[in-house]
Amino acid sequence: FRHTQAKKAEGQCKVKAEDDDVENLLREEDEYEEKIDFSADTIGALKWKEDLAQKAAQAFLRQQRSTPNLRKLVYGTAVEDEDPEGEDAGDELGGLFHVSRPDKASKQKANALDCSKFLIEKPQDWDLEEVMSSIRDCFVTGKWEDGK
Amino acid sequence: MAGEAQCLSYAGCNFLRQRLVLATLSGRPMKIRKIRAREEDPGLRDFEASFIRLIDKVTNGSRIEINQTGTTLYYQPGLLYGGSLEHDCSPTRGIGYYLESLLCLAPFMKHPLKIVLRGVTNDQVDPSVDVLKATALPLLKKFGIDGESLEIKINQRGMPPKGGGEIVFACPVRRVLQPVQLTDPGKIKRIRGTAYSVRVSPQMANRIVESARSILNKFLPDIYIYTDHMKGVSSGKSPGFGLCLTAETVNGTVLSAELASNPQGQGAAVLPEELGQNCAKLLLEEVYRGGCVDSTNQSLALLLMTLGQRDVSKVLLGPLSPYTIEFLRHLRSFFQIMFKIETKAPEEEHMGGEKVLMTCVGIGFSNLSKTIR
Repeated sequence: FRHTQAKKAEGQCKVKAEDDDVENLLREEDEYEEKIDFSADTIGALKWKEDLAQKAAQAFLRQQRSTPNLRKLVYGTAVEDEDPEGEDAGDELGGLFHVSRPDKASKQKANALDCSKFLIEKPQDWDLEEVMSSIRDCFVTGKWEDGK
Repeated sequence: MAGEAQCLSYAGCNFLRQRLVLATLSGRPMKIRKIRAREEDPGLRDFEASFIRLIDKVTNGSRIEINQTGTTLYYQPGLLYGGSLEHDCSPTRGIGYYLESLLCLAPFMKHPLKIVLRGVTNDQVDPSVDVLKATALPLLKKFGIDGESLEIKINQRGMPPKGGGEIVFACPVRRVLQPVQLTDPGKIKRIRGTAYSVRVSPQMANRIVESARSILNKFLPDIYIYTDHMKGVSSGKSPGFGLCLTAETVNGTVLSAELASNPQGQGAAVLPEELGQNCAKLLLEEVYRGGCVDSTNQSLALLLMTLGQRDVSKVLLGPLSPYTIEFLRHLRSFFQIMFKIETKAPEEEHMGGEKVLMTCVGIGFSNLSKTIR
């Protein structure tokens, strides 16, 4: 921050270049005050920096979490559909009959339609200008990056 | 291949195709239990039975055991054989259901596969033959599977419920696959499409084209939608119409969307104008998702990356579909391969949604049954 201090001093020099010695003295006082200000600034700056580091760490953690999240989503729950056999044995009436319960969501998924199409759950309103502009640059008619 | 490998066990009929395909490619036996075990009509359906028969046709020496109620399936894969074949697909699912899996298996046959498939070419559930032709074939080419013999030809169009369509799929064999680096999809330069109509007025297709163009022209001037009206024998057994759209980028990425009319006797009649507009909007959604591979072909791309040479492959995808997520889990259990998955925010503001970068090192799979000449 020495550099910024010098700059500020320089700026003040320009403003008060034509001032007399008295004002020069005052300016020195000003500068002195500024120094105090500066120390306050520095504390602020440090605080800001601390905050930044924390923010960066949080952002990093968030990103770290989101990336393995997708990984977890794909590879984390693979054994889910392997429901244990013992589950069925529990619901017995008089040791003879099984209580047939409606299928759970996971079981329905196991016996769901085998289809590779990726259906769109919430279609966007493509008549709206803002929705249309969200893909505007995917086309050759859109904006091109520099150097292409 | 390793016959005494540990048997994998699954429950439920979902993802039957990818399990059978991966079991065949990895040579690992597999068992599926509880196939619709709690339903009133338990066991395998006819379209699944037809699929299993197809797998049996393209392989040599597979052992398939199904219990009496059809709720348990045991599969011990044989060798992929290929050759000239034909198969009658069940009309309850589209030919796309069968073709998708054949696209995964065909490059690894002993003899180049040339197969005639009969059934429903376009329906509302499965990716149609038109879309697979426009998207999957360019994708295979990127992995070094190309040549004149790679083709999908629609001889006859068949709509549900009765079908009556016929296609020919031919694919050359490759000993090794090239690793790919598909990280930049590029900008979309043109939109192509096919509006088809069978056993209805040929004017339907024209009406679809008009309405689809009215939406897409706001983005791009280079749009051409072919009208395809098939007559007589080649129009199948049921009436219907629909539209397939593809968006091609400067880097050769193809994104697609499609819609078909309701099958005869099911649901309300669809106006061709409405269908055209909705399909155009679906294509815009697909563009918003983006990536270097169409959302239906994500799993095919990931499979070919897995089976590539021992080198790093990268591909940028749109959001992962549930089918793809399950496919990744299966890739891990069959091939012990895990992908590096990174989310990527689009570089610029008007470039659609978040993307996913998938990275893996190929397992160095080589087609053992192909003789080196």
